[in-house]
Amino acid sequence: MENSNSYSPYSSSSVDSTKPSPSESSVNLSLSLTFPSTSSQRETSQDWPPIKPRLRDTLKSLCLRQRRYNTALFVKVYMEGVPIGRKLDLSTFSGYESLLENLSHMFDTSVICGNRDRKHHVLTYQDKDGDWMMVGDIPWDMFLETVRRLKITRPERC
Amino acid sequence: MNYFPDEVIEHIFDFISSHKDRNSISLVSKSWHKIERCSRKRVFIGNCYAINPERLIERFPSLRSLTLKGKPHFADFNLVPHEWGGFVHPWIVALAKARVGLQELRLKRMVVSDESLELLSRSFASFKSLVLVSCEGFTTDGLASVAANCRHLRELDLQENEIEDHRGQWLNCFPESSTALTSLNFSCLKGETNLAALERLVARSPNLESLKVNRAVPLDALTRLMSCAPQLVDLGVGSYENEPDQESFMKLMAAIKKCTELRSLSGFSEVAPLCLSAFYPICQNLTSLNLSYAAEIQGNHLIRFIQFCKRLQRLWILDSIGDKGLEVVASTCKELQELRVFPSDLHDEEDNDTAVTEIGLVAISAGCPKLHSILYFCKQMTNAALITVAKNCPNFIRFRLCILEPNKPDHTTSQSLDEGFGAIVQACKGLRRLSVSGLLTDKVFLYIGMYAEQLEMLSIAFAGDTDKGMLYVLNGCKKMRKLEIRDSPFGNAALLADVDKYRTMRSLWMSSCEVTLGGCKRLARNAPWLNVEIINENENNDLMERNEEDEREKVDRLYLYRTVVGARKDAPPCVTIL
Repeated sequence: MENSNSYSPYSSSSVDSTKPSPSESSVNLSLSLTFPSTSSQRETSQDWPPIKPRLRDTLKSLCLRQRRYNTALFVKVYMEGVPIGRKLDLSTFSGYESLLENLSHMFDTSVICGNRDRKHHVLTYQDKDGDWMMVGDIPWDMFLETVRRLKITRPERC
Repeated sequence: MNYFPDEVIEHIFDFISSHKDRNSISLVSKSWHKIERCSRKRVFIGNCYAINPERLIERFPSLRSLTLKGKPHFADFNLVPHEWGGFVHPWIVALAKARVGLQELRLKRMVVSDESLELLSRSFASFKSLVLVSCEGFTTDGLASVAANCRHLRELDLQENEIEDHRGQWLNCFPESSTALTSLNFSCLKGETNLAALERLVARSPNLESLKVNRAVPLDALTRLMSCAPQLVDLGVGSYENEPDQESFMKLMAAIKKCTELRSLSGFSEVAPLCLSAFYPICQNLTSLNLSYAAEIQGNHLIRFIQFCKRLQRLWILDSIGDKGLEVVASTCKELQELRVFPSDLHDEEDNDTAVTEIGLVAISAGCPKLHSILYFCKQMTNAALITVAKNCPNFIRFRLCILEPNKPDHTTSQSLDEGFGAIVQACKGLRRLSVSGLLTDKVFLYIGMYAEQLEMLSIAFAGDTDKGMLYVLNGCKKMRKLEIRDSPFGNAALLADVDKYRTMRSLWMSSCEVTLGGCKRLARNAPWLNVEIINENENNDLMERNEEDEREKVDRLYLYRTVVGARKDAPPCVTIL
C-alpha cells in the first residue's frame, strides 16, 4: 500500500483554503475507519469521536428512537377541486381514526377511508414510490413511514 | 532530623499524603527510605505492568489502600482489544498470601473476575472500600460475594463497568448487620434490581451519603429511598420515560425537599423533563450536576433548571444545551470549576444549529472566573475564540477540545488552529492536561514544547505534518508522563530520537501513525527497560518471525511503557512484546 501523506490534506507551509472534495477524502476510507471522511460519506466509527461506551450506547439508542418516532411528520393535504392545500403533522395522531376525525373537522365534511362512492369524501395518499393508494390498508406505523401526501377525493358523480 | 527517634519521624511523615511528596521523601536517605516505606499506607500504581505485586508488598508491608490502573486510556474508545490484559487476580492472590491488611482497592480499566472478587472478600477482614472504574470481566455474582463477606464494607462504587447481570439477589446478600455503608453506586448495572432489598439496605444505613441507582429503580421506589435517606449528599437517579402522574410527582418533590444536604445529582438517562423539575427545591444547593446521559431532555428544560443552580462547581452536560444555554451557565454559575460538554448527535443528522460552537466556549471563559478544567466537544472553532479564552482563563489545568470533524480548520479564516492552541499553552502556565483537535500543523507542537512546561498528559488525533511535531513535544515538555497519539504522521525518527526520554514517562501510545515494525524493534533493543507492545488484531501474526521486508510495515498500534519487571507473561496472541 502506498504511503502517501494521507493525513493532512493541507501542506505545512501554505494553508490551502480549498478543501479536498468528498471523493478525494474517500480515497482514505481504504485506510480504515481511523480516518473518517467528511460529512456525507462518514461511517459510524466505533472509535471516533472519543466518547465512552456508555455515552455511545445512550446516543445510539436515542437516535434509533428518534428515527422511529420522529418528532414532526408534516405532509400536505389537498381536497380535490380546492386549489389551496393544508399542512398536517401526522405524528400528532395516534391512528387512522384520529386522522380522519381531524380531517373531517378541518375540511368541514365527513372524510372516510374506503372505496370511492357517490356520497363520501375518501382519503387517499401518495406513497414514497409516487403511487396513489387507499388510506387504511396498511398498519399505521408503516403508513407513517411511506406517506408523502394526502388527497381527499370528491364524491363521484355519475 | 535524624536526631529524632523513628516514631517521631514517622509521625511527621503521616502528615504528608501526596504520593509525589512521599516518593520524594523516600529518596532523601536510607533511613528515611525505610521509615517511609514501612509506614506508607496508600500506594498508587499508574500502570499495573510497571511493577509486580511481590515487589510492592516487599517494599510497603503496611499497605492499606491500593490504586491500580490497567489498560491505556484509548481503551475507552475501543482501540484496545478486550483481552489485552490488566488482570487484577495476581495482585489479590499475592496480597492475600502475604496477609496484607488491605482496606481499600481502586481499579481503573482492569479485568476483574468473580473469582477475584470472591478471594478479595474472604482475604481481608478490614476491607472497607471497593471502587471499580471502567472495569470488566465480572458479574453480579462477584458483587454478591463482596456484599456477603466484607463485614466492614463502607463503599461500593461501580462506575462505567461492563458487568454481566445475572439478575441474582446480590443486594440481598448484604447481611442485616451491615449498617456501615456510606457510598453505594450501581448505576452501570443493566438488569433488574431487587427494590425491597435495596430499600431495606438504605433504611439500615444511616451513614449513607452517596447513592447512585441504576435504570431499573422506578420513581416511586426512588421516592421511598429518598424518604428514608434524607441525609444523602450525592444522588444518582434511574430512568423514567413517562411523565409521572400528579400524585407521584408531589410525593417525589416532598421527599426531595427533605434532602437538604443534597449537593450532587447524576443519572437521568431516558428521563422525562418533568422529573428534572422535581429537583427544583434543592437545585440552589447543588455543587455538582451530571446530565450527560439525559439525552431526552431538551435544551430549554436544561436551561430552566440550571439558571437556579448558582453554586454549581462541576457541570457535565450534552451539547443540546446550545450556546444560549452556555451563556446562561456563564451568567449563573460563578463558582464553576469544571465543565464537560458532550456530543449528543453522532451522525450529524440533525444538521442543527443548536449544538455548541466557539461562542459558548468564549461565554463560559468570560463568565466563570474559577474555571480550571474543561472538556468540550463541538462542531467548529476559531483561533480568535481560543485566543480570547486563553486571555479570560489563564488558570486552566485541564483543557480538552474535541472538534468532531477531524482536520477541521478555523471556520472563519480556513487557517489551522495552531495559533489558538498556542495561545492556550502560553497563557495557561499551570496546564497539566491537553487534548488538541481540528486542523493542526507541526507549529502547534512547537508552541506546546516551548510553553507547556507543566504538561503531563497530551492527546493528539489527526494532527501534525512531520516527525518534527512529535519531537518538539518530546524535547520540550519536561514533565510529560502520558503521550497518546492517533492518526498522525509521526514515525521512526521521532520515536527513536531520544530513547531515554521514555524513562521519565509512564507510557506512549501511537496508533495509525507512521512507525514501522523495524523502528519498534530497534527501540526495544535499545531500551530493555521498556515494554514495547505491538497490538495487531488482524492476521495470525508472529511478528518476531517476520523477514526483512516486513520491517518496513507500519505498525497498527504501539504501546510502550517503562517497567522494572520486564515483559509481562499474560499477553494475548494479538499482542507482541518486542
